[in-house]
Amino acid sequence: MPLEQSLGEGFLTTRVDAVVNWARSNSLMPMPMGLACCAIEMMAFAAPKYDVARFGSEAMRFSPRQADLMIVAGWCSYKMAHAVRRIWDQMADPKWCIAMGACASTGGMHRCYGVIQGIDNFLPVDVYIPGCPPRPEAVIHALMDIQEKIRNDYSVAQDYQSGQLPEGRLPQGSHVVTPAGDAPSKLVVHP
Amino acid sequence: MSSLPFDFTPVDTPGPQTPDNPHAKATTNCPDAVSALQEQFGDAVREVVEYANEHTVLVERDRIVEIAEYLKANHGFTYLVDLGGIDRFTEEERFEVFYNLVSITTRKRLRLKVRTEEEDPVVPTLSRTYRSANWYEREAWDMMGIRFEGHEDLRRMFMPEDFEYHPQRKEFPLLGIPGSLPLPAQRPGGELTMDPFAAAHGSKPIKSYEETSDTDDA
Repeated sequence: MPLEQSLGEGFLTTRVDAVVNWARSNSLMPMPMGLACCAIEMMAFAAPKYDVARFGSEAMRFSPRQADLMIVAGWCSYKMAHAVRRIWDQMADPKWCIAMGACASTGGMHRCYGVIQGIDNFLPVDVYIPGCPPRPEAVIHALMDIQEKIRNDYSVAQDYQSGQLPEGRLPQGSHVVTPAGDAPSKLVVHP
Repeated sequence: MSSLPFDFTPVDTPGPQTPDNPHAKATTNCPDAVSALQEQFGDAVREVVEYANEHTVLVERDRIVEIAEYLKANHGFTYLVDLGGIDRFTEEERFEVFYNLVSITTRKRLRLKVRTEEEDPVVPTLSRTYRSANWYEREAWDMMGIRFEGHEDLRRMFMPEDFEYHPQRKEFPLLGIPGSLPLPAQRPGGELTMDPFAAAHGSKPIKSYEETSDTDDA
């Protein structure tokens, strides 16, 4: 007898990974690392007109301990980089990072001695947003990309290399579904 | 094809010294203070320039504190709006420090200037006369390397404290000196990243401490 029939109505079977990823992706708490004018657009992104509460990310957390998505908005100087990396290190795993705007992504128009030419020199960036500054829709798009990434990741096994089986961490006989290497939408079942 | 009107402000020729000069403002013209300075300090006032109704007084470096205190006490220049360094990039007296003073009571603005040599550029501090000079002088020290003698807290203003250069000097390259400004370490106690273009050279920053990075072994 199938499991659903024995449990009756109101029950649904699923994978733990899917539930955890669904919860994580719809309750991202951004750490607003507003360094320059992009922060203004980030505020609009969180405010009622663009209403990021639709995506569950309206709760900006100014404490890194309570955040799991860092939005680096604006140009970052070499002096600030040490503080940004420190805050990033204080965020609990799992965590994600958005480089918002031209300056955070590449240094932008600040091609000079004091500004880092892209925060990916010291932070693992998941999504880059172009624009100077990007519109709030673009930030929402980036957030949706992060959500897509989380949904295609596998969470319980806690392995960071997507598309590969974590070695030696799984009990015998368990089934893990991971995204296939280059196509995130295609899922591969590992027996 | 008709030519477009092109208005420009000539750089090399001073404009008319009349009130109808759009750049001229009565507030920046203070002949009383200038003549009083010349009378009081004589040779210490090296040069008085009047351009677009603005008075700029070049004074002897060693007597700047005395002159500022005199202006503050007798002409109401109680407010130091700005102070900064200029790299003139000349053989002699390379660095210049300007002081923009404002008198709120008489509604006047006056600019003082001092010059100093390239080797060991030292200017007496004005931070005891005007408290606002404190941070301005720190900025000028940071950016130009002009040392302000007597300043009680002459630390760098913007750049990290162990930075070795003065980036607003004209010989400093715009993109900086590679390796002079480190990027943060990837883990606590780890090595600082000295390459400012680490990402372009294949480095991938690690996400968390538990993760082993590909670049760690290299």
